[in-house]
Amino acid sequence: MDYLIEQALNGFSIGAQYSLLALGLAIVFSVMGLVNFAHGEFIGVAGYAMFAMAAMGMTDPLLLVVFAMATVTLVALVLERIAFRPVRNAPSTTGLLTAFGVGIILQNLFLLMVSPRPKAVPELSALNQTVDVWGHNFTILQFLEVGVTTVAIAGLVWFLKGTRIGLAMRAAALDFTTVRLMGMRANRVIATAFAISGLLASIAAIFFIARRGAIDPFMGLLPVLKAFVACVLGGFGSLPGAVVGGLLLGFVEVMLIVLLPDKLAGLRDASVFLIVGAILVFRPQGILGRRVELGDKTA
Amino acid sequence: MNTIAFAERTRGGRPFLDARLAGNLRGALWLALIAAAIGLFVMAFGSPFIVRLTATAFINLIAVVGLQIFMGNSNVVNIGHAGFMALGAYFTAIFATPVMIKATMIPNAPFGLAGVEVGALYAFLISVGLTSLIGLLSGLVLVRLAGIAATILTISILVIVQGVLVTWTDLFRGAQAFFGIPKVVGLGLIVAAAAAVLVVARLFKGSRAGVQLRASATDPLAAEAMGVDVKRLRLVAWVLGSAVVGCAGALYALYAGTINARAFYFHTAFLTLAMSIVGGMRSVTGAMVGVALLTVLLELIRIVEGGITVFGIAFPEMLGLSGLMLGVIIVGVMCFRSDGFMGGHEIEEVVTALRRRLVARKREA
Repeated sequence: MDYLIEQALNGFSIGAQYSLLALGLAIVFSVMGLVNFAHGEFIGVAGYAMFAMAAMGMTDPLLLVVFAMATVTLVALVLERIAFRPVRNAPSTTGLLTAFGVGIILQNLFLLMVSPRPKAVPELSALNQTVDVWGHNFTILQFLEVGVTTVAIAGLVWFLKGTRIGLAMRAAALDFTTVRLMGMRANRVIATAFAISGLLASIAAIFFIARRGAIDPFMGLLPVLKAFVACVLGGFGSLPGAVVGGLLLGFVEVMLIVLLPDKLAGLRDASVFLIVGAILVFRPQGILGRRVELGDKTA
Repeated sequence: MNTIAFAERTRGGRPFLDARLAGNLRGALWLALIAAAIGLFVMAFGSPFIVRLTATAFINLIAVVGLQIFMGNSNVVNIGHAGFMALGAYFTAIFATPVMIKATMIPNAPFGLAGVEVGALYAFLISVGLTSLIGLLSGLVLVRLAGIAATILTISILVIVQGVLVTWTDLFRGAQAFFGIPKVVGLGLIVAAAAAVLVVARLFKGSRAGVQLRASATDPLAAEAMGVDVKRLRLVAWVLGSAVVGCAGALYALYAGTINARAFYFHTAFLTLAMSIVGGMRSVTGAMVGVALLTVLLELIRIVEGGITVFGIAFPEMLGLSGLMLGVIIVGVMCFRSDGFMGGHEIEEVVTALRRRLVARKREA
């Protein structure tokens, strides 16, 4: 029973990370139809920003975290401006491939400017201390992951429901032209979407880095693939779907870590993708996605 | 050619070949000839290094053409093809490697495969057949999805194949290299295979199925309204594409003699995808142009990457420069010419257009 509770929290905390990443993907996708393959590199940006600052002598974890979050948000805005704006009205395949190119650029920049080998970022490792709660062993990080994610999602809901630009973003998911006719600036709506997606990714990134304690140029690839899977699972473009998909993925992953013997550890990721494939066969539109027939006016 | 002109031509006298088929065949032969010419030239004059580079480029070309068959015609981004390349290579390795070597490498192979040894040609055929079979099974699932979900599924295929290869050590040797495969394939055979594959891809693109599939990529609703069975056509293209990609992997195994599962992961997938994009994924000629451009360019950058001295200034080693340029090229192509270098056109169209322009200019003069 103890074990079960510990693993359940584990599933929640890993799922929370995927949810944050998946939410960022879904926001950008719903507003401008871009499948942002470079989203995972935001994790790398956060990691290398922290690494660079730590190397220059800033050791206060809190300052590092704030700096990393600011950098990622800024990078997201810059990328939107220089790479994704030219392909905004292009077919979705073009956007996908552009994002994929941006991802390759960022990975190789890390590789070129720092090192192809992993680097240690130990500043956040204090979060991995275990605490004793009613006889169970948890790490501070797990509570932080669940708590911060909940707060972030609540904040996002408030932003989308309570502010004018949030309303514009929700409307843009349905009909961007009308949003522009109402006098909202397209650039501002899309830039806000990117900023939010970067901010959420940076929170997830900090948890990833705290768990691993190290960074490497290609660390963003697998998390973003899983975030994609979470999005597809929940129904691509649906925000609640992204959260549900992310949590589900976290649970599946923890379940596999527990169930698969060490000899088959290499199959962990493969099994996750296999299970997801199986779910998609029976529900191609995802869990919360609505079935869209060809020619439906509202997609 | 518009429909009316097309109909009139068929009405007036029966040509030997259907006009569309003739056009496709001409384009296919152009491509095959150019590929063969490059191959022969390199075989005659190239240094061993250039020969090796060309052989790799032609293997990549086969993979890119396989990618084009599905991605170019159906407009669904495919990242899983590197997995099929791995399958083609590993199946060939398992069947073609001498029993003696297998006894030390994979003594406990299931299904008694450790004691099986067939000629390289049969191993190649078995491997392409098995890869196509797996393509068929995965394709049945894939065609149920469309757009981004389908792309995610192709990534899943890549991850699953990699996971199985690395984990099933009894059959695939896991993360260790699989060596001792007979090196029976040289540049000549690879070029011949590439030429054949180019013809297949051109004929498929121009065939009834290819035209219908491309129509469905442009406008799924209109295509379905015209009675196009999009799912079935996607399946056909997917299986054909995976067979071609498997063929690339099989040839690689027989050429290199040693294979490693890690070589068929995201790096290969992204590189071949980039080649396809740069040349223009909608055209078979684009596949060839993309492979040629990126092979030459990346090789030049690799010289700089290793650290060079220009005008007495020694530049340091810059690892990652080739990857960086690859990304810059992809983003640049997407921003300024999203249809790639060939813009979806085929070689015979370009030649005809050029000739027409020349004639017009001569008339003006």
